[in-house]
Amino acid sequence: MKLENRAPAEGINASNENPLIELAWLLAGSLGVIVALVIVVSLAAQWIAPRIPYRYEAKLAATLPSFATAPDNEPGRRVQAELQALADRLAARLDMPDGMVVRIGYRDDRTVNAFATIGGQAVFFRGLLVKLDNENALAMVMAHELAHLKYRHASAALGRGVAVGVILSVVSAELGRNAAAGVLGQAGMATLLSFNRDQERAADEAALSALHAEYGHVGGAIDLFEVFARLPNEQRSPNVPAVEFLRTHPLTANRIAAIRHWAADNGAAIDGPRRPLPPGIAALRK
Amino acid sequence: MLDLIEFGLFVTLLIVGFFAGTIVEKRHYASIRKREREYADVLAFAVRFPPDRVTPQRAFLVHGTVVISSDYFKTFVAGLRNLFGGRLRTYETLMERARREALLRLKHDARRQGAKLVICVRFETTTISTGWAASIEVFAFGTALIPERDTGLAFGARSALPA
Repeated sequence: MKLENRAPAEGINASNENPLIELAWLLAGSLGVIVALVIVVSLAAQWIAPRIPYRYEAKLAATLPSFATAPDNEPGRRVQAELQALADRLAARLDMPDGMVVRIGYRDDRTVNAFATIGGQAVFFRGLLVKLDNENALAMVMAHELAHLKYRHASAALGRGVAVGVILSVVSAELGRNAAAGVLGQAGMATLLSFNRDQERAADEAALSALHAEYGHVGGAIDLFEVFARLPNEQRSPNVPAVEFLRTHPLTANRIAAIRHWAADNGAAIDGPRRPLPPGIAALRK
Repeated sequence: MLDLIEFGLFVTLLIVGFFAGTIVEKRHYASIRKREREYADVLAFAVRFPPDRVTPQRAFLVHGTVVISSDYFKTFVAGLRNLFGGRLRTYETLMERARREALLRLKHDARRQGAKLVICVRFETTTISTGWAASIEVFAFGTALIPERDTGLAFGARSALPA
């Protein structure tokens, strides 16, 4: 036997391929899969959640603390009662789901926002109320939030959030504590946010028809978005959960154009007499 | 904002991992190839028995061990690869470097003790970290032989490597 050592083989056990090419393929593939999965699952959850009878949502909401609260003082309770009365009037025009009892909360906070959440609840912040000049503009916000409730957008958002959360937690468990999980999570969340705009348009349209039915014109909607157009940017994005009124909305200018368009299509007047704000809410401005 | 900082940190780590890892790997390969030529006269085989069973031999254990770490880039690419399956190319170079390095250290040990022949060479490997960056230990061991009446390579083993 003749024994000899030869130089180790090069390029057989380890490849010379540029690892950046592999990275590019893997990133594109995994992001594509995650985005597709998030889109499919969130669309499915968004489709299923509003079809689950409302009483299950009410049961779930009953296990959580109520959102429909107000500051424990006379002006606070008065504002809440006035908001509730307006909500009841508009809800009658919106054909709300069977069994849904709309309850409105009020927060003495400078945040310029309002949001709708599960269990037929909507919350208004003082910061928003003091910006409004008349009841018509307030009614536009109210009808918009009620439309979110009517279409069960809050439960759709919850269902979607839970479903996507499950996917992303499975993905991150697969990857361990790898940083890859973080990146994939970011991509998933970006997909999630971009969905809400269609819901906002649907809510705007339902709100406009309620406004038209209640006041005979949709001038309040234009007043409202003109107020928003004057807001400095930092006041437009408060950190409030659930379906927010401002954060995920189409651009204000687009919305004013959409209102005029809707009014033209539906033969609604875009101007008419405005009603004054209820006294308790009007008193907030002083 | 916090998300942006986190993302920036991640991209920075990835870039640093890639460039630092590439430089370290290139240098390591250059050093391995250079030393493989230097140690060409120390022969290592996987055979279980000495080729020359006539001449009495002195035999003793020699070993070489190396601990080598992945970098952020390699680990990230491997993490993505785990989703799809296939060759973990970024770890293949890591493992190859570790094995060749361990064998070189074994030869160093053998030469230090006056042996020019090591038989029954085996490799063991241990994962010593399962955190965000994988690290491995490769351990090479074998039986060094020195003929009692050392007349050089009495049994006809020779190196094909340039000395």
